[in-house]
Amino acid sequence: MSNEFDPKILAFLCNWCSYAGADLAGVSRMQYPPNIRVVRFMCTGRIDPLFIIRALTRGVDGVLIGGCHPGECHYGKGNLYTRRRVLMTKRLLECLGIEPERLRLEWVAASEGPKFAQVVKDFTEETKSLGPNPLTTLRREEAVI
Amino acid sequence: MENSLYLAWSSESEIQKTASSGGAVTTLLKFALENKLVDAVLAVKKRDNSRFDAVPVLITDPELIRETAGTLHFAPLNMAKFVKDYLDGARDTRIAVTCKPCDARAFIELAKRNQVYRENLFLAGLNCSGTFQPAVADQMIREVYGENPQELAMEEIEGGKLIITLKDGTTKEKDLAELAGQGFEMRENCLRCSCKIPRMADIACGRWGNNGQAATFIEICSPKGHEFVDAAARDGVLVTEAATGKQIEERRQKETEAVEHALAREKRDLDGLHDLSHEERLKYWVGHLNRCIKCFGCRDACPICFCKECYLEPYRDCIAGGETPPNIMFQLVRLSHVADSCVNCGQCQDACPMEIPLTRLYNSLNRELADLFHYIPGVDVDAPPPLTTATDQELSIDAPYIIEEQSSAR
Repeated sequence: MSNEFDPKILAFLCNWCSYAGADLAGVSRMQYPPNIRVVRFMCTGRIDPLFIIRALTRGVDGVLIGGCHPGECHYGKGNLYTRRRVLMTKRLLECLGIEPERLRLEWVAASEGPKFAQVVKDFTEETKSLGPNPLTTLRREEAVI
Repeated sequence: MENSLYLAWSSESEIQKTASSGGAVTTLLKFALENKLVDAVLAVKKRDNSRFDAVPVLITDPELIRETAGTLHFAPLNMAKFVKDYLDGARDTRIAVTCKPCDARAFIELAKRNQVYRENLFLAGLNCSGTFQPAVADQMIREVYGENPQELAMEEIEGGKLIITLKDGTTKEKDLAELAGQGFEMRENCLRCSCKIPRMADIACGRWGNNGQAATFIEICSPKGHEFVDAAARDGVLVTEAATGKQIEERRQKETEAVEHALAREKRDLDGLHDLSHEERLKYWVGHLNRCIKCFGCRDACPICFCKECYLEPYRDCIAGGETPPNIMFQLVRLSHVADSCVNCGQCQDACPMEIPLTRLYNSLNRELADLFHYIPGVDVDAPPPLTTATDQELSIDAPYIIEEQSSAR
């Protein structure tokens, strides 16, 4: 095993689109990095910014949110609220000094298996290049947080 | 309705004596209560006659209004909090409230979230050029002015100076910049606040534009404001006079000057942080937030925080029972929950026993969100909160980080 940094990524996926997209990628035997851990939500609109913050303070290196394309939300506008909240949370991370790129929002429809695999590949690469979550590093250095 | 700018003063000599600037606000509130335009008045009163300790009082006897006359610059409260928490959001009482711009903005934000009943409130807005923390003010009067703080009868902030009047009638003035040099500054959120005239209230009253006369310059901002002022003027208790062009111009100039000053200060304070690298900025904030002792004081003092069941308490299954939230998470959860509605009142920082510069954090996010959503909290009661809104137009925009056509997220 190399000493290369292996990021831990938490993925919040919506039940109707992205989770089904991930399923399709799986049954189609598409290869993508095994760095993501998936939490399924009925709608991305359920995601309180607090979930993202909690994940980051607990030490994940990146958070991926996958929802339906605008206009295709099972509940109407859940994904539009998410888009606004993610924009806000990105600014919040920036203000605090955490790279906003650690949070990514993507729309993946149930039919977009290949897109799901590609998104995970890209985001894993990007998180790798950002390095470990600075909060984890700080905690190790100062034994607090 | 044609003219919404007046100079006004009380026709009662008793009120003129105790109140500042002609006592127009005191008179108007007293009149409203006597004539059943409102059921009660919520105002601020000195506790034990100390100018460094203020308490909100709910008054139903018109004769007691006079006790609340005059402005207290050394004892900042946020009135919206009291109405929301203890008066059931004015659900079944009509209440007139005296408010600084940040109080008025908090009322507007709470009204949007159905936490107060705006239609039952009469907001008597007071212009504000900033406040001091009581402890800072007390020490300043002792050390810089060389006076006993208990002898203080009145203080004014005018033309960049803090003027104090003692009980024996002597006045002393010092330059605010000079005071700042000696470590005695206003509350930091006030220094950065660019909302000096509360136009979101029903009326906005202040000294600017009164030409040094014992009169209050009133800007009427709503139909309800017109109704109250017109009724009091018709009755004769309030003497009104349309403001002249010169007075309006003077007021405008003073406001512009104060706002420019605040914006420059905001730029100075926040750009410094903004220019740091991610790593340095994170160290700065983690260093501050690690001092948090989880007293929940900021949450309890915040006029906007209104969840009945808070995520930061164990029964929401986010924090384990018997544990306190992790340092950084505590503030970030609060920050994300009030991000689109923080009105920069500074109550959180006042409450903080560890002196964490919370308003600086809230301000920096606020500034970022203002240009992202084109939204300033607490200004327009009809503008929906940006995080709980989605327009039909957004349904047809596919990019994950764009919420408007022709603009791109950075």
